[in-house]
Amino acid sequence: MAEYLLPDSLSEATEIIAEHGRALAIVAGGTSAMRCGTCRGKHGRGILCLECPGPRLVSVPNAAFVMGIQRLGLDGVAPANGGLGFGAGLSLSRLQASAPIPALRAAARQVGGPALRNMATVGGNIFERQPYGDVAVVLLALDASLTFAERDGERSQTLAAFYADGAKQGGLLTRIDCAAPDGEVVFLKCGRRRFNSPTVVTVAVCIALDGGKVRRARIALGGAGAHPMRCAAAEELLIGAALDPTSIAAAAAAAADACDPATDVVASEWYRRRMVATYVRRALGEIEQGS
Amino acid sequence: MTAKILSLNVNGRDETILCDGLTTLQEVLRDQLGLLTSVKDGCTQGGCGSCSVLVDGELWLSCLAPVAALAGRAVMTLEGLKQSAGIAAIQQSFIDNSAAQCGFCTPGMILTVKALLDANPEPSHDEILEALSGNLCRCTGYLPIVEAVKDAAARLSGGADAARASEGREG
Repeated sequence: MAEYLLPDSLSEATEIIAEHGRALAIVAGGTSAMRCGTCRGKHGRGILCLECPGPRLVSVPNAAFVMGIQRLGLDGVAPANGGLGFGAGLSLSRLQASAPIPALRAAARQVGGPALRNMATVGGNIFERQPYGDVAVVLLALDASLTFAERDGERSQTLAAFYADGAKQGGLLTRIDCAAPDGEVVFLKCGRRRFNSPTVVTVAVCIALDGGKVRRARIALGGAGAHPMRCAAAEELLIGAALDPTSIAAAAAAAADACDPATDVVASEWYRRRMVATYVRRALGEIEQGS
Repeated sequence: MTAKILSLNVNGRDETILCDGLTTLQEVLRDQLGLLTSVKDGCTQGGCGSCSVLVDGELWLSCLAPVAALAGRAVMTLEGLKQSAGIAAIQQSFIDNSAAQCGFCTPGMILTVKALLDANPEPSHDEILEALSGNLCRCTGYLPIVEAVKDAAARLSGGADAARASEGREG
């Protein structure tokens, strides 16, 4: 069974990371990493278990070292500079109860059932495999930045850059920050049922209007590629244009063209691509109706 | 690999347990502490809700919780809550509404309903569906279960004083 390390301080945690490198799996709520197949963890947890029939999972082989972050006090809410700030270990149920942005609360509420949300964390959501990670999609639309603790100090990176780099950087994610949104934020999820549904696609948009024209647009998609993604082609079409059915249809088509969804048990690539267009149109339509 | 010894409060009693690496709370409750079989071994993937327990009063999935991180915390299984008037009313509502068939999902359902009604004594139909969305039942369908929750909510709001008095004893 994997060795489970529970550091009491950030400096201890960053030492562990430096020591074990890639052999270390970091576990927060455990709702993905602790899952196991029909071997009941005998071959590892959350891993690609070739010996188990049924769904194949990904992450913690038995030989690995696992570090829990429960004792690091990362479960707080600490707004900085008038924006929003969340500890990486904040549970999704606390996010759902406390986030000042309705779209963020809505995304948290769409993840799993209540018990799972009591355990799953905001930080963990950022590392979820697609099509999971609904909260990360809203954070991307809010242009959130991540703070990582490393042995020789802190490092910050925008969430967009983190995904663009292939999430390769080391360090321990400690905080997620974003500025107060400069516009309307809408989150929509296309799922298979109303509650506790796996994601077909998710869409989060943040649109700032100025005199009827779009001044700033951020469109983020989940379930539409290898990781949550911004859709620059659709954003560029909107900026400077009036938000009307014509520009919305063009942006929705651009998003469907630019995305690269996978086929899995939840939905096909064909269906996801169409739902990207539909849900981008609906999300932008909500902002148009409200403006 | 060295085993760790830690202390955990389970159903109001301090227990000393032995764990290895990623030993889960579910394994400790079922195998080590013995007979806490209201905690079911359903999917071990956090998908079915049948292993639900309360950790410091919060609904958790015990199959996904490495027990080593829970040292010093208080865990309640359905066995530990059976003296509570609130639990008795929920159980009776499940019986009266035929909300249990094979019974495998029922302990998890009842703990979930307890957590729901503690936070929201008069849930709407949609709020009940959302609260139960992490608990799978493969026998009855969900209609009798939802009816049982509505019935339990009515019983408990009718006898709120008695339920509160019992909660006090339990804590």
